[in-house]
Amino acid sequence: MPAEIFNPNPVIFSAPKSAGRLSDLSAHSLWVNDPSLSEDDEADETEPIDQDEIYDLIRSIYDPEHPNTLEELRVVSAPQVTVGTNRITVEFTPTVPHCGMSTLIGLCIRVRLLRSLPERFKVDIFLKPGSHQSENAVNKQLNDKERVAAALENPTLLDTVEQCLANAGARGGHL
Amino acid sequence: MGQAEPLLVQQVLRRTDQSLKKGLEEILGTEAWTQLRGWSKLGWPQNNPIVVEISEDRGSLLTVVKALGYYLTSEDGDLLEKGVELLSLIVARVPQEKLNRQSARVLSGFFCGKLEDSATLKPALGGLVTLAQIPTLSPAEVGTIVDRHVKMKAIVQGVRFEVFSIIDSLMAFHRDVLKSMGKHFLDGYIGLAEGEKDPRNLMVAFAIARVILIEFDITLHVESMFNILFCYFPITFRPPPNDRYGISTEDLRLSLRRCLNATPSFGPLAIPVFLEKVSVGSRTTKKDTLQSLASCLPVYGPALARVSARKLWNALKLEIFQPVDPETEEEALKTMQILVKIIYADEEAAMESNDDIQGLARDACEECIQILKEPEKSQAKPAIKILCTFMSTTPSVSRYTISQAVPHLVRLFHDPDEISARAPTTFLLSELIASARDAMDKEPSLKVDPPLLPFKDEVIGVLTTGASLPATRTFALSGLKALVSTKGLLSDEELGFIVHNADQIIEKGADYGDSSEAILDLLVAVGARAPHHLAEQTLPLLFGYLPDKAPLRDAAAEREKCWLTLSTLRSLCLLPDLFENMVIRLITKLDLISFPYAAKPLALSDDPEPSAAYAHMILKTLAQCLATKVNKKHADVSKYIDRLVPSLFNIFVASAFISDEGEMIATDPRLIQVAGEIITLVVQSLSPQRQQAYSVGLGKALRSGDVADIASGFQKIASTRKLSLFEDTSSSAQKNILSLLTAAVIPLDKEVRLSLGDIDKFLDSLLTWVLEIADTDLQRISALRMIASILNKHVDELTSFLKNKLDVYWSERVSGRTLATIQRIWAIKSWTWITKGLLVRKHPLAMTFVERLYGIFDDESVGWEAAKAIGEIPSTDVVLTKANRAEVKILFVQKYAGSVLPEILAFAKDSSNPAKQTASLVALTSLIKSIPRAAYAHEMPSLIPLLLRGLDLPDAEIRGNVIDTFLAAAEGESPEKSLVSEHSVTLVNAMLRNSKVGDMTSTRVRTSALRYLGILPSIVRYDVLHPYKSTVLRELADVLDDPKRSVRKEAVDARTNWYDFTYGRNNEC
Repeated sequence: MPAEIFNPNPVIFSAPKSAGRLSDLSAHSLWVNDPSLSEDDEADETEPIDQDEIYDLIRSIYDPEHPNTLEELRVVSAPQVTVGTNRITVEFTPTVPHCGMSTLIGLCIRVRLLRSLPERFKVDIFLKPGSHQSENAVNKQLNDKERVAAALENPTLLDTVEQCLANAGARGGHL
Repeated sequence: MGQAEPLLVQQVLRRTDQSLKKGLEEILGTEAWTQLRGWSKLGWPQNNPIVVEISEDRGSLLTVVKALGYYLTSEDGDLLEKGVELLSLIVARVPQEKLNRQSARVLSGFFCGKLEDSATLKPALGGLVTLAQIPTLSPAEVGTIVDRHVKMKAIVQGVRFEVFSIIDSLMAFHRDVLKSMGKHFLDGYIGLAEGEKDPRNLMVAFAIARVILIEFDITLHVESMFNILFCYFPITFRPPPNDRYGISTEDLRLSLRRCLNATPSFGPLAIPVFLEKVSVGSRTTKKDTLQSLASCLPVYGPALARVSARKLWNALKLEIFQPVDPETEEEALKTMQILVKIIYADEEAAMESNDDIQGLARDACEECIQILKEPEKSQAKPAIKILCTFMSTTPSVSRYTISQAVPHLVRLFHDPDEISARAPTTFLLSELIASARDAMDKEPSLKVDPPLLPFKDEVIGVLTTGASLPATRTFALSGLKALVSTKGLLSDEELGFIVHNADQIIEKGADYGDSSEAILDLLVAVGARAPHHLAEQTLPLLFGYLPDKAPLRDAAAEREKCWLTLSTLRSLCLLPDLFENMVIRLITKLDLISFPYAAKPLALSDDPEPSAAYAHMILKTLAQCLATKVNKKHADVSKYIDRLVPSLFNIFVASAFISDEGEMIATDPRLIQVAGEIITLVVQSLSPQRQQAYSVGLGKALRSGDVADIASGFQKIASTRKLSLFEDTSSSAQKNILSLLTAAVIPLDKEVRLSLGDIDKFLDSLLTWVLEIADTDLQRISALRMIASILNKHVDELTSFLKNKLDVYWSERVSGRTLATIQRIWAIKSWTWITKGLLVRKHPLAMTFVERLYGIFDDESVGWEAAKAIGEIPSTDVVLTKANRAEVKILFVQKYAGSVLPEILAFAKDSSNPAKQTASLVALTSLIKSIPRAAYAHEMPSLIPLLLRGLDLPDAEIRGNVIDTFLAAAEGESPEKSLVSEHSVTLVNAMLRNSKVGDMTSTRVRTSALRYLGILPSIVRYDVLHPYKSTVLRELADVLDDPKRSVRKEAVDARTNWYDFTYGRNNEC
């Protein structure tokens, strides 16, 4: 980790209590049941990959600089994810405009999605417009296949990425 | 050989002195010596012949010494060693009273003399170890022993241990002599102990050092003692594998710590060491240092704490604001707390106003409040944590902290420029209030006013405002809860005001769902102190939200609200008065929903399902609330046999009668089930006498269908109207009522007599009814439960019933092929329940019933059902439980597994009858699911291949069970010793196959398979599993596109685990 700390005392946001998946609420059945009894096993409706699911995948990634998750620092949020048929766009907001970690954060998001989404999806990762002083350069770097692949060849970098992803399975909860 | 020796020795000792000498020479000269030494290592047997001779005064130590004479003076090192060793062994074994003052003196002199010679050093020390424990040793001898300076550096650790043991024993038996030796002894000991490295010796040395530090005058030796102890700090020793002394790092750490905190004179020297270690050490060192500091500071005293406060604060601050891990942070906070406590505790009486607080607490407080000016920043959290720990230091410090922090946070909250920071501000304030409360709870002996008292009004103002705003609501509510639960803080009026505010949030409605839990917590906290506020304010409001008619099918939001309201009621109304209030209201509501048109069936246009679902919610609320009350052993549950239970019967029986003419809501089996749960809970709580009284009406209802005694309520039921439960002409709705009656029967005590006439006949008729008349599963299961429960409690009167089952029922209904398959399946289920009733009480016939089932494993139509029954028989159920006063013996499942498992395994391995073999696999998977892991763990190696075959059976349920078994078995596995390692190829492939939606339709099986796949890397060695890594990753890429979200989640987790699976990673864990 570089010696320079870009933002020593970032703002921490309390995680908003998840209001539940919208589709879940409307589909809520007439009957209340203990969760143990719910037998929707054979119902064959498909549940398409949606915004919340993508957000769940990336919300608990650690910030490379702090022991906080991207969610707590509001680097990512559910509305910043858009899902199309075969295309996903993730926008993220660095905590300060000169944040040198932006590329690394973007790379972590990319690796996490690369490993967790079906290959049919094309994923675009962008900085929130106007949130960073070298926005274009970072965007370009993050969405360039070759450069991403090259970055992941670097064992030290890959190790840092793995460390940031260590908690990603928590999905907003605790591991 | 071993047998012969004692004899030899005995003979030797019996001879005259002359021959004794010769005899000893013989011992020392022969192989026997080697053997004697061997004994000495293991400890000589108490009845050792030489020792016996001496204890019984047939020989004396003197004779032994005389006899050994030549050996004890020989010039030959080898002989000398033998002689001294034998003597020391004998001395160790001889009873203490034989070692009189004189022999002790002679012997100690002798052994001390032999310390000079390297050959005799070891046995001589051994002798001294024994002598040091003799109380009769005179000071002079003690002095001689201590004066002998052994060159510790020249001897091995085992021998050094003897030296430490001698000092340890002297310390125990002759402490005063050692004390009187003063400097002389200390100098000697420090010389001995210096540079010791062996953990076993250190344990003794630390114990000795603690005594010295506490009891001896060490004024002149502080520095040298400090040097020989602090050189070990921090302990970094890691025990070698299979360490035979079993000394752990923690043992050493703790006993060293007991030295470090033994004397205040270490203080000035120790603080710099601690400060250095905490700042540069590793995680474990930091933790150790912080813990040591915490234990030492109180000993080192307030004066030193005050002097070093600033330095310590700076070091601790770093660990709190930039913690390496949460554990270290917590230790640092604890140390901080102790530091503050030490500094201020003894001045407590002098602290009159806040101005008297000077020094550390003031500085730290100011520093933290400076940071709290930006409450939204990440550093605010550690800052408030520090202030929170100040709450449990001294009353004056916590008063001071509150007086500084609370007004500051209140000001921030009201500052119009800081509106965006209100949420974190409220959070910080709530944390502080909660710690203030916890600190008071921890020390209930301190009769002081809550430190928050002077600021109560401002805080209530801020929190109620906060609670009314969505952004700050959750935090404000938890803050209010903390206020409410602080003892002696709020007046009754103020509690009422807080309830009023909470109610307002509920009233405004719209978005209270998000904070419903927090509101509930708050109201429950108020309920614990002043339930009348809830009864007066909250309950009427909540009941008002429950409509008399169910929300329509598409009104999901309203339905959600009903459930939310009911859930709130469920948690609030646990106290007797509130619960009674709720029961009355809800029963009325239930009646209104069930009979919307006053004793008429529903109109055709009505959609009954939403109403039934609403009624179900209400019943569920009552059932869950009752269950909680039963768990908490509330005494008022039993009175509801007169209120709630008759009303329920009234509603359901009336509905069953009316339903002959058309549809009724309260005939839905799901409602009947929940009502049954309620009835069971209430009947369980009755005394046997009360049950006996109740059972009269119950028996009448079962015998003749007359419910007049057990049903009463709003609906009029004509007294002539009788239920027809068992006739084949009666409606399904009426027959369903049996389920409610069963619910009342199963908790009856075995002393309670149900007047059913011939009980034998009654059960038989129920069995026939199950196969021939009952038309729903609810009816059949209820009948079987009743049979099992009655059989379990009254088996002694039912011998002929059981005999009849084995002789007739089995061949006619189960194994005979005359009945339709579906009837035979129910006959097997009946068999299962009968067996269950017997098995739980370990009845001798239980296994006979079980063994019958093996015989029809190969039946092509019901074989698998019989096989599954093997697993269902020992499975837990809600009927045969202690709560229902069933006769349940301990470990019946283990006994069952012990006899059934080997049989099933044998069938499964026997390939002569393929149909039976396959059914045995089914039986096996079903059995394993219902017995505890310990009951089959020892069979695991032979089970695994069978289970793998089970994975190929077409039945999804069986596959699911198999995978669950693997999952359960994985808990105790590690890469070093894994049972599944050799099967990993098969497992990986099978799991991959079962995880694809194309091959496996059941979601449950897919998720389980993926979960197991995800666990494999942590339980199988890398070198075994890594060849499949790329395959798994590739195949799982497809599973990531599964139609079900839950499956995708497992797939992502499994795939992540396989990505992380690299050499060396799984070996660390």
